[in-house]
Amino acid sequence: MKYVILKKNKLDEFIVNLSKQKKVMAPVSKGYNNYAFEEVTRGGQIALKYIPTILPPKKYFMPQYETVVEYDTKDGKQNMEAIVEYDEMILFGVHTCDLAGIQSLNVVFSDRPKDLNYIIRKNKIILIGLECNDYCDEHASCKLVNNELPNGGYDLFFTDLGDFFLVHVNTWEGENLISLTKVFEPADDIHMKKREKLRAKKREIFKNEVKINPDQIPDLFDRSHNSKVWYKLGERCLSCGNCTNVCPTCHCFDVEDEINLDLKTGKRIRIWDSCQHESFAKVAGGENFRRKAAGRQRHRYFRKFKYPVDKFSRYFCTGCGRCSRTCMADIRLKETLDDLIKESI
Amino acid sequence: MNKPKVAFFDFACCEGCQLQVANLGEQLLDILGVIDVVEFREVMSEKWNKEYDVAIIEGSITTPHAVDRIKKIRKRSKVLIAYGSCATIGGINGMKNNFELDEIREHVYPDNAKHFPTIPTMAVDQVVKVDYYVNGCPIYPPEFLKVIKAVLKGIPYAVPDKAVCAECKLNENVCMYEKGVICLGPVTKAGCNSWCINNGNICYGCRGVVTNPQEQAQNDIMVKYKISLDLMLNKMNMYNKCREIDKDE
Repeated sequence: MKYVILKKNKLDEFIVNLSKQKKVMAPVSKGYNNYAFEEVTRGGQIALKYIPTILPPKKYFMPQYETVVEYDTKDGKQNMEAIVEYDEMILFGVHTCDLAGIQSLNVVFSDRPKDLNYIIRKNKIILIGLECNDYCDEHASCKLVNNELPNGGYDLFFTDLGDFFLVHVNTWEGENLISLTKVFEPADDIHMKKREKLRAKKREIFKNEVKINPDQIPDLFDRSHNSKVWYKLGERCLSCGNCTNVCPTCHCFDVEDEINLDLKTGKRIRIWDSCQHESFAKVAGGENFRRKAAGRQRHRYFRKFKYPVDKFSRYFCTGCGRCSRTCMADIRLKETLDDLIKESI
Repeated sequence: MNKPKVAFFDFACCEGCQLQVANLGEQLLDILGVIDVVEFREVMSEKWNKEYDVAIIEGSITTPHAVDRIKKIRKRSKVLIAYGSCATIGGINGMKNNFELDEIREHVYPDNAKHFPTIPTMAVDQVVKVDYYVNGCPIYPPEFLKVIKAVLKGIPYAVPDKAVCAECKLNENVCMYEKGVICLGPVTKAGCNSWCINNGNICYGCRGVVTNPQEQAQNDIMVKYKISLDLMLNKMNMYNKCREIDKDE
């Protein structure tokens, strides 16, 4: 376990230094209490205190529009060339919920058949985490899924302790950044004790946000398949797909061919899709497996709290609260869970 | 293979969509490499008296004369594309349908009104069969290209039937409702890559209403944001008034 510290007044130097080596992406303010990961070159551009960004950092791991194949059918050929689009970059200031989101995506895309585009891109991204000292807002449910503290998945991890950051060096890549930038100092006992104090305070602040023992959630969902809760959600849902687009673990996509005007060459792209759209489960012949919004909302929740537990032994809800925050119809994840619990008693 | 004969026509409209095509720049040259434009009033004066492989129609149908004309064009065309809000959904010309026809005719042509017979505004597909749609006011050039390619290839093009919000979120815009502004994104068909909102404007609903606007949920939202039904209908009807013609049938 290696720890170093970065004095706050050296943050700018650190970011300037990093941005000379690679693209640096960090949370910046977009106004109206909205934030987004964008490229930065100075420390001052970064919003150190931010609520989860509109889109999670998954946009760098699986871009919204991604070319996967280029094809050529000239002269009767059937040539297809696999394409991997990637950018080397450093993500700074990733909260623990979003680190958990990236870990979930890693699990999905490493499962067979492996998604090489994702895996190659992931290996080009360096992750610098940032601890939350307090709740971002009332929508977060990070304690429910144990994401209020870091669970790995980063190269460096920053904890803001007043006039300095305590930095956990987790990987060789992280160590490399420390020695390259030359702005860090060794951490000693006083620094570590300050973090202990913060963690003790966090234990007081972060309490399970939903009245259920997390171990019992899959069981709750087992019993809730035909719950009235889903029908009520269905009436309220706009089917706009905002909840899945902003979710750090939703990863469904559509694949389209974009042909060139010569009608012979073109590319195959993948685009984010959403199970909340009415067209998502529509198949040839016009049949639709999830015709009603109720079934679509139920599917979304089961994809967070039931199916991934069966398949990967982890919740695919990271507690970030984005789905609740972005929903115009006020569909709130914590409320939905509360309603399911109330109904099942 | 001979290049398909393509003709552009305009009905009641501002001809802004033709301008979008004329402004495609280098891409226009690429298109002209694969099609043979035989009529296009905005950029040429030649006419064509044979069959059209593809007719591209701008504008809505607002007079008996226009009904005859579009029917004739349809008969002479193998494929017919409606493009722009006026042609695809009636567009802002539909606002005429808020008034009594005689009243509005006398307002526009005071003493000569009797020389100008008029009918309620209709989208092209409310008069003749339409094979392809390029929605929007004006058309979104990348979608126009997509449709042209689909036509050349002989495959269908499905206008996205999800809300503009879906694309807007992918572009990571701050939601207009969070800025306290009413936006028609939640009820309007996507496909424009949230063009207006990306540039700081609201969605005016120019691509038409999604097939299933989840009415109960929309009502809840109007209550939540304290938007009256009148105000909402007013905003919707700016582009979508002609929808009522289909509902009446």
